[in-house]
Amino acid sequence: MVLTASRPANMWGVTIGAGDRLYLPQIAIIEDIIDETPDTKTFKLRFEDEEFAKAFKWEPGQFVELTVFGAGEAPIGFASSPLEKSFFELTVVNRGKVTGAMHLLPKGAKVGIRGPLGNCWPLEQIKGMDVLVISGGCGLAPLRPAILYILANRNDYGEFWLLYGARTPADRDFKYDLAEWAKRDDFHVLETVDVGDESWTGNVGVVTTLLPHVKINPANAVALTCGPPIMIKFTTIELMKMGFSEDRVVTSLERYMKCGVGKCGHCCINHVYICTEGPVFTYADMKKLPELGL
Amino acid sequence: MKVGDTYILAKTDLPMFFAAIGHEMRLIAPRAFFGGDVIFDIVESPKEIVWNYGHDIYPPKRFLLPHYEDMFRYTTGDDVRIEPLPAPPKQAIVGIRSCDVSAIRFQERFFGDQIDDPYYRARSENTVLFSIVCNKPPKRECFCICCDSGPYLESGFDVQLTDLGDRYLYEIGSEKGEQATQLGAFMLKPAEPKDTAERKRIELQADSLFQTVAYMAKAIMFVSEDQVPAQVWEELGSTCFRCGACTNLCPVCTCFTVEDRPEPNGCFTRCRSWDSCQFSGFTREASGHNPRPTFGTRVQRRFYHKASYQYILRDGRHGCVGCGRCVSACLTKLDLPSVVKRIRRAMHKYLQPQPASPNSS
Repeated sequence: MVLTASRPANMWGVTIGAGDRLYLPQIAIIEDIIDETPDTKTFKLRFEDEEFAKAFKWEPGQFVELTVFGAGEAPIGFASSPLEKSFFELTVVNRGKVTGAMHLLPKGAKVGIRGPLGNCWPLEQIKGMDVLVISGGCGLAPLRPAILYILANRNDYGEFWLLYGARTPADRDFKYDLAEWAKRDDFHVLETVDVGDESWTGNVGVVTTLLPHVKINPANAVALTCGPPIMIKFTTIELMKMGFSEDRVVTSLERYMKCGVGKCGHCCINHVYICTEGPVFTYADMKKLPELGL
Repeated sequence: MKVGDTYILAKTDLPMFFAAIGHEMRLIAPRAFFGGDVIFDIVESPKEIVWNYGHDIYPPKRFLLPHYEDMFRYTTGDDVRIEPLPAPPKQAIVGIRSCDVSAIRFQERFFGDQIDDPYYRARSENTVLFSIVCNKPPKRECFCICCDSGPYLESGFDVQLTDLGDRYLYEIGSEKGEQATQLGAFMLKPAEPKDTAERKRIELQADSLFQTVAYMAKAIMFVSEDQVPAQVWEELGSTCFRCGACTNLCPVCTCFTVEDRPEPNGCFTRCRSWDSCQFSGFTREASGHNPRPTFGTRVQRRFYHKASYQYILRDGRHGCVGCGRCVSACLTKLDLPSVVKRIRRAMHKYLQPQPASPNSS
């Protein structure tokens, strides 16, 4: 039985049906490992079961529950292009028990995958609009599928901007992509770091300091954001000042999570389960959750 | 014999009737333990069942959502294999109270909502409930009457028994109950009008004997509208011992955590176990960030989940069945009736107009 995700009429929801296999992971093999930063690696994965791999479809913004056998399970967002059918990538920061164990795995090791879970970035709904992507640190990973999708369908979208902030130049994820994207003239990439070093010639400061450079019409634009809570808070304030409406600021939220299917209760914010109703929310929806304190 | 039928079961036939049921499935029933505690457990013979028990502190929910539940087993190394576990056994929970039946119905709905939880479904499909009407509230702390979940049930039961002195009124409420009844059908006699009249009298009498009151309507209003000041929650939370008794003894609470437990032979078992939103680790992320950092936010969380209008829309009812276990268990009065009372008083204090300070002019 295959976990399937489809986008219903409801803009942000996704239905999942898995039956008796709901909690059983599928085995995937690590094909390649890319070192992104000192504490971040990207794992290229392929399903062992080819039938399952063919049926496995996901949308940018969704996530999986990654099992490191012997350690446990953790939710990780997709980081590769959704147009790649033969493999997918997960970018993992070494933080806890499961992610720490994941970083020790070599090429060829087997992991478990359960998903895809959650809803997705509204990429179909925002066709024809200008897109402003704002991300901080490892928050670029869940946005990378959306960026790659938009670049692959570049004519369907208007102006396209990326603002990316990292702590230091060494903490920049996807350096190879950023170098590639900077060469394109249909994609404006602005970067900043909190603390520079001798080799860094770019901007220094928080990511909101880049916003005045953005030339975009907020009336026909959407902002996709992902990053630490403090960054989300201040970028949202700045975006409101620029004239973005509340339903055009879209954020991917994150919570401690166990089951990923709305049962374990850990990821609840008020009455909303991040795993099934999220992780992607508009600012308008987030304001309805008093626990977020917006 | 069909759903909605009522019968009479003589008390002398009771052991034989449940022996017939126990022949087909395991019996879970209140049983006396050393020291006199009566707790729901597996009974070998119906003779062990304690019929006139008070109110067990440990809810029978653990036979549907076990304290530790193995989900599957896997081998590690090059040859990773995932082995699903066998289906759970058939079981009858005998002597369960109306509040706990309501709680199990709540959990069935929750675990089946949107995405079906296969483990809970397997257990609940294999479980038939023989619930018992409380002729009087078994404990002072009971407030099921405020929560629409007792002392007797109008619907939602499989089989409901009412003690009429020397006999039980036997009501069939579901197809599962009907199938189980077939096993001992020859011991049942059709109920007469005088039996149902007696039942009516017991209902009215039971309703009048409650001593604890929870103002559920007030509770729902307070927490749904998010009108309670944060300092009130912090005041309430400041007394919490974070023992987790309230959530672990709650027959409605469903939250669980998942861990991979090593086995002696090199395998691992993924198992889920009860978790409590009252623990700081419940929401703490690997980075150290905790979205619910204080006791107050966690107490607020618990009552928001139990009583908010937003959750009632999701779950079909509020998340309290008035069993009174949190009232018995909580050392610092963070139970539902007391908290609602304390919030009402606190709101009164905070909402009073502040006297003008003499220096403000």
